[in-house]
Amino acid sequence: MAEQFEVPIRQKIFIAGIAVMFILFLGRLVQLQILYQDVYGKKSEENSIRPVAQEPIRGYIFDRNGKLIVDNRPSYSLTITPAEFHVKTVDYLASLLKLDPQFILDRVRNGQRYNRFAPVRIKRDIDFATLSALEENRDRLPGVDYQIETNRFYPRKARTAHLLGYTKEISEHQLEEMSQEYRLGDDIGATGLEAAYERALRGSRGFEFVTVNAKGQIVRAYNEGKNDVPVKEGDDLYLALDIDLQAYAESLLDGKHGAIVAIDPEDGGVLALASKPDYDPSLLSGFTPASAWNALNTDDGKPLFNRATLTRYPPGSTFKMVLATAALQEGIITTSWRVNCTGGFRFGNKIFKDLHMHGSTNVVEAIQRSCNVFFYQLMLKTGLERWNFYGRQFGFGSPTGIDILEEDPGLLPSEEYFDQVYGKGRWTQGFLVSLGIGQGEVGVSPLQMACYAMAIGNRGKFHTPHVVRSIYEKETGRILITPIQTRTLDVSGEVWDIVRDGLYRCVNVAGGTGFAAKVPGVIVAGKTGTAENPHGKAHAWFIGYAPAEHPKIAICVLVENAGFGGAVSAPIAGLCIEKYLYGNLIRYNKTQQTMAMKSDNH
Amino acid sequence: MEEWSKEQIDVTTIVSALLLSLIGVVSVYSATYDAGASVIFYRQLLWVALGIVGMLIVMLTPFRSLQLLSYVFYGLSIIALIGVLVAGKMVAGSKSWFGVRGLGLQPSEFAKAATVLALAAFLSGRHINVNRLKDISIAVALVLVPVILILLEPDLGTTVIFFGILLLVMYWAGASNFLLLTVLAPTAAAIASLFGTTPFALVVLFSLVTLLILRENRFVSSIVFSLTVLVGVSVQFIFGKLAPHQQKRILTFMNPDADPLGAGYNVLQSKIAIGSGGLFGKGYLRGTQTQLNFIPAQWTDFIYCVPSEEFGFVGAFIILFLLTVLLYRGVQIAGMVKSRYASLVAIGVVASFALHTIINIGMSMGMVPVIGVPLPFISYGGSNLITNMLMIGLLLNMYANRKEY
Repeated sequence: MAEQFEVPIRQKIFIAGIAVMFILFLGRLVQLQILYQDVYGKKSEENSIRPVAQEPIRGYIFDRNGKLIVDNRPSYSLTITPAEFHVKTVDYLASLLKLDPQFILDRVRNGQRYNRFAPVRIKRDIDFATLSALEENRDRLPGVDYQIETNRFYPRKARTAHLLGYTKEISEHQLEEMSQEYRLGDDIGATGLEAAYERALRGSRGFEFVTVNAKGQIVRAYNEGKNDVPVKEGDDLYLALDIDLQAYAESLLDGKHGAIVAIDPEDGGVLALASKPDYDPSLLSGFTPASAWNALNTDDGKPLFNRATLTRYPPGSTFKMVLATAALQEGIITTSWRVNCTGGFRFGNKIFKDLHMHGSTNVVEAIQRSCNVFFYQLMLKTGLERWNFYGRQFGFGSPTGIDILEEDPGLLPSEEYFDQVYGKGRWTQGFLVSLGIGQGEVGVSPLQMACYAMAIGNRGKFHTPHVVRSIYEKETGRILITPIQTRTLDVSGEVWDIVRDGLYRCVNVAGGTGFAAKVPGVIVAGKTGTAENPHGKAHAWFIGYAPAEHPKIAICVLVENAGFGGAVSAPIAGLCIEKYLYGNLIRYNKTQQTMAMKSDNH
Repeated sequence: MEEWSKEQIDVTTIVSALLLSLIGVVSVYSATYDAGASVIFYRQLLWVALGIVGMLIVMLTPFRSLQLLSYVFYGLSIIALIGVLVAGKMVAGSKSWFGVRGLGLQPSEFAKAATVLALAAFLSGRHINVNRLKDISIAVALVLVPVILILLEPDLGTTVIFFGILLLVMYWAGASNFLLLTVLAPTAAAIASLFGTTPFALVVLFSLVTLLILRENRFVSSIVFSLTVLVGVSVQFIFGKLAPHQQKRILTFMNPDADPLGAGYNVLQSKIAIGSGGLFGKGYLRGTQTQLNFIPAQWTDFIYCVPSEEFGFVGAFIILFLLTVLLYRGVQIAGMVKSRYASLVAIGVVASFALHTIINIGMSMGMVPVIGVPLPFISYGGSNLITNMLMIGLLLNMYANRKEY
């Protein structure tokens, strides 16, 4: 090394620095470990702090009228503290619990991996007989204890399964991601509101810090409880849902496959959201046997699947208003534009059918009587891009933004979409014809359809649908109100007058297809749809709103493979509207309904 | 390939590093025994094996190529740091991990070794004067680039280490004592004032005494002194003006492991663990503090508690002794090599090991504020362990080629 770097001196300085470090640390070690060993040794024996968890109670859920729909009920869970458990008692315990001894040992071993001193839950929902047997034999079973927990309890007749969702024991994978707040054995929202509002509903665990001795026995509260973290109870949800309407809607779908969605057009609140087949949510509360899970998962009716929000059905004739709105707003037609319906429409070498010969028809009559030929021609006149533009305005092809996580955007084809699927220039105008009547490559969910009905009923005002109206924050006492998000469709008042006239006539004027939706004393407006599908009978649709002038409810009814919308879905919609607006059914006359159902309208 | 003779291998360095790694593996096993993290233990074994392979590769790399590649390694580590910012996976709120098949790589660790190489390569240049502003600025820039990239992720420990390495390497390269103080005093004052008035006063006092001893130009000296006081006071003043939650954010930034029981909890539990170990310890896997999980981050930042509790003074001393030997040997190597580049690399490695050791052990025994840095060779963590082994490889390479060039 060249002398200019003064290495010999600096080397000495560095070595001196290292020596100082060594001596300082050595001195500190001697001080801590040798001079004060007895002080720290004693502290480690008795001044050991352990947090004792205080479990929060999951938030309650109320409907729009303050009726409790999701409650909590105490349940007993048997726990084992691995550090204190005697393995030789396992057979006796297993016989008490009617469990496999190996299962118990596996759970204990699994929990031991996280913390030997934290109780591991072995069995949930133990019954009272088991509990008392356990109490009697307590000293024979060291480390065995029970915890009081709460399970979800559903006091109402309505199941509301898909909307409320269920909670589930947290998976190891989730635990790794969220280890801060959750522990093995904790429940976490898996679907529906339970999942979407997990943060609010869960609250947070409190901790009491206690001083334990080397045997793990509690000696006293640590630092007089000054360090304790208070438990934060879960926040309550207040829904827009009308639980009575929900129960009634579910009963109307009994034995069917389908969905009903009802929305409050004034703010977008979801009044009812039913999907059938469904499941009993109390089956999934607390301990769920594997057999019950398997039964739900393998059921052909797919009861866990939310048909109201996750499906992509062709909307059929209910979709005609999209095209009518587009054509009228863009000035392509007026009410004086007429088509002569001869019961069919030839395009190229293909014939597109209609159910009737409607004769000379304008746009209002075409909606009223659901004339296909009119819309075949109008689709060609209007074009895919305009149709797509208005479809998007009505919210199709994208999620509605409802506050549950299960939602499918559906499919609203555009030129780009066809180019992608079939290649540029390899699809023809013939692809479009059937889109005009909501058939072919278009997919919507009943929720989207209910929003669509709301938009028409509101003359273009589109509120983002929401289930939760407000959250009651337990910690602060504040009430957080869900903001209403509203956009307005770019459609003029005259156009709404024309389209809405069609919907009014469809239900109320002779020749309309939606007669069966009529409700005494209230003017209902709506549109039927019968969506053909290759896998069986057509899907029956009805969308509508009431009262027609200033709607208080917008509704969509879908029944899978049930035939004509006018015959099957329209009466269901009528009954729901009646139930909601009157609070009860004013028609007790069954034959009246049967009559409506038997009419040949569709 | 040329023959390797016995005298080209530095047994002291290799043996200390391997013994330390062995103690590390044993400690990690105990620290995670209860948490069921046997995965962590096996990973640590894997890191040691990979580290040894890396060490051998670096040791056997021709000296010249190492010197030529210094800037390349530096460039690569900068790219990796940028990569983290762009594609980094969030781990524990900090963006410094690369998710590589779930194992997680931390480029900021590798950047330490690369920055040491780049600094050495630059400062060993023929016309470099470490007391000239232009060259100082370039050296600072070399460190500043990775530090800024790391600072975009909240990590105080790494920042302190980088600047520590810069200072020590510059000093070794011939920077004057006065220059060192000019940089060190205001920085120390700023940090110390965040920890309280007493540490701040101590720093001010210390810098005053040193300035008097150095007897440089009075005017410049008084500027340095005023700057020190001013920086410290203004930091404290600004801190006092902040809203409580902002203050808390800064304090949390300085101590990311702060737990709900208050800042003193970690250190208290750590001191209890070490102190209760006594002369011979409580026995392997029988430390109550360790096995009851009283110490947060006990397999990373607070690992020193584990052997200290279970093997007592004997265990704690052996680790301290081996680390000291390694540092001492490193300084010796830095002094004996012919090439200025080799000397600076060796001292950079020593600086990195020394700073980690001082901060980590000092923190565990309540002598240094809690700053999260790992203990070399002992703490769990792949990137850190491999980087340390690579640095050992550098030391061995410098030693092997001490008479050449």
